[in-house]
Amino acid sequence: MEPEPILWFGWFRADIIAEYAPLFWQGLRMTIGVTVIGITFGALLGLLVGMARLANARHAPARHLTRFLLRWPATVYVSFFRGTPLFVQIMLMHFAVVPLLMNPADGLIVSGELARTLRQDYGALLSGVLALTLNAGAYISEVFRAGIQSIDRGQVEAARSLGLSYRRTMYHVVLPQAFRRMLPPLGNNAIALLKDSSLVSAVGLSELAYAARTVAGAYSRYWEPYLTIAMMYWILTLALAYAVRRLEHRYGRGDTR
Amino acid sequence: MAAAIRVDALTKQFGTLPVLRGVSCEVQPSEVVCVIGPSGSGKSTLLRCLNGLEEATSGRVTALSVPVHDPATDLDALRAEIGMVFQRFNLFPHRTVLQNLILAPVAVRGLAPAEARERAEALLDKVGVLDKRDAWPNQLSGGQQQRVAIARALAMQPKVMLFDEPTSSLDPEMVGEVLAVMQALADEGMTMVVVTHEMGFARRVADRVLFLDEGLLVEEGAPDELFDCPREARTRRFLSKVL
Amino acid sequence: MAPASPRFAFVVTFFVLAAATAAAQSRPLVVGSSATYPPFAYETPAKQIVGFDVDVIQAVASKVGITVRLVNTPFTGVFASLDNGDLDLVISGVTISDRRRQSYDFTAPYFEARQLIAVPVASTVRNLQDLAGKKVGVVTGSTADEVASRTFGRTSANIRRFDTTPLIIAELVSGGLDAAIGDNGVIAYRAQEHKGLKTVNDPGFPKEYFGIVVKKGNTALRDRLDSGLKAIVADGTYARIYRTWFKTEPPLPTP
Repeated sequence: MEPEPILWFGWFRADIIAEYAPLFWQGLRMTIGVTVIGITFGALLGLLVGMARLANARHAPARHLTRFLLRWPATVYVSFFRGTPLFVQIMLMHFAVVPLLMNPADGLIVSGELARTLRQDYGALLSGVLALTLNAGAYISEVFRAGIQSIDRGQVEAARSLGLSYRRTMYHVVLPQAFRRMLPPLGNNAIALLKDSSLVSAVGLSELAYAARTVAGAYSRYWEPYLTIAMMYWILTLALAYAVRRLEHRYGRGDTR
Repeated sequence: MAAAIRVDALTKQFGTLPVLRGVSCEVQPSEVVCVIGPSGSGKSTLLRCLNGLEEATSGRVTALSVPVHDPATDLDALRAEIGMVFQRFNLFPHRTVLQNLILAPVAVRGLAPAEARERAEALLDKVGVLDKRDAWPNQLSGGQQQRVAIARALAMQPKVMLFDEPTSSLDPEMVGEVLAVMQALADEGMTMVVVTHEMGFARRVADRVLFLDEGLLVEEGAPDELFDCPREARTRRFLSKVL
Repeated sequence: MAPASPRFAFVVTFFVLAAATAAAQSRPLVVGSSATYPPFAYETPAKQIVGFDVDVIQAVASKVGITVRLVNTPFTGVFASLDNGDLDLVISGVTISDRRRQSYDFTAPYFEARQLIAVPVASTVRNLQDLAGKKVGVVTGSTADEVASRTFGRTSANIRRFDTTPLIIAELVSGGLDAAIGDNGVIAYRAQEHKGLKTVNDPGFPKEYFGIVVKKGNTALRDRLDSGLKAIVADGTYARIYRTWFKTEPPLPTP
């Protein structure tokens, strides 16, 4: 027996959403989780890659090494992940790269039953998070690079002339100042990542868009599921934007700009 | 006694533009040397070569008996011994005045924070801005900022101090307070190299004055000699414009 | 504004009607098919759409004297395109269902479809019930999705939904699934591409039928297509096409 349809405002089939509520809640948790992991690791990766792109050395052998081992690979990485669609990266990661490395038959890193268990329980999560992190890292590295380059050269010279090493200069002087200028673009990247995480549903990760797609597939109704997740995404992006504004306010003091 | 700083046939090019064309000079311990010359003469570049902020194109710079441009030199360790004050102050805007002074002694010298703080407060008192210790740099006047910058360099207890046009971005009424601090430092016997346009200060405080023009050391001598009876025509021409 | 002359209005109406009729007679009927569904319809490297559906509609068309033009339309868009007139008919492995009958008209069935399970060769799964607690891949919104949702629970985490059959097969091959369920024609075709897979036939799956879809109320076209289907079955063309694509005799009597 089909349950009696519950209509809101005469057209919104609330009963459909209620029926699939566990999928939406799980989807919400997954979307938040994937976004948090993606931003955290994407920021770390972005910081490293951003610094690699700025790396330089004073003297001959190290000078060439930094160019070939740091600057060029970093540049190629950023160019690839900014220059190809995220959807394509997700499909590549899940159906090509990860199966190559992790496969019950002949995985390069993991094979056998462990590969099967990992793939079944965490496969979509793993490749989704990998693709999102690599993509976010590429964009965030540009934010870091711009942020670092926006700091006046005199700041570095003052720190270096006090005897601070390059690393300490970055850590104590450049990054704290760059961080504040990077907060607004970082916030934008985080919001973009939150929204782009919906693409991961294509590899079967059960986040918000997956829930909507499942409902739409079962009922051929689009308003209810997609309006529902639209509202959930909207609330999440508003919350994220608010958090970024609070951070900016908190770390905004003392900047001479 | 070994010279504090020794420069041999130093040249420096930016791309194809020669900025220093073979400069040799020495600075003795406790000596105050002022470097004067028209803008673009290479005097700031010379100063920045002394602690390795600029690389040399050729020639040698020895500071505190260490070859500055040798790849094997630990430049960080050398720079810890050589304080530098910049034209545009370059205080760290995200740190309070006190934090500006504490950073390097704790991070580089490994001083206990409490000790670094005590030393910093004494220095701030000495340069007359102790009451601003918890202020942010952008809340200070230019003169106060530069005095904090001098104190920040002194907090490392350097053996040599380099000044790169320390009063050039100051409003005229603030020049005096900064020069007074520098004079006091000179009186205590600090080894100082000062690139400056303040001819009065050079005459009053310097032990020796170097005149640079177009990347060459044109003339050097005691202030009275150089200012009152310059030997070179180029020196005379320059002095007639600025005095 | 001056009233338009009635005579002028008549002339215009006449020409518009005449033009429309002429166009309807001379232009080929536009047939939508989602060409990602071998062996029913797929694109060759030369961009040609081929497959069982394609051969059937072309045989039918030539029997009843119409010309058709095939347009590759994503499955998610075929019904909307039919509604707004971009397509005249759809042959794309569409299952005849009561729900769809409310909005569209179907010809008689031209294919008997059943759900088929693909599993790794080592699997001991013998029917749908054996898949309880296992990871099962289906195409979102497909019949297999409906069956799996009904059997294992709509919000079960063990149901993994993907957009196309090749994706669930790829996921099965890479170890992410214990089984994939889909329409027999497609699953059988895909499974024989991978030597590590086999198919399991559960007779408990309900039978389903594919039909050609036309816009609701376009009974003239539907009747014409039905007569064409009858004709190609009668003269053996249908059986020949069936053998070509499925390497087996058609289950009789179809349609």
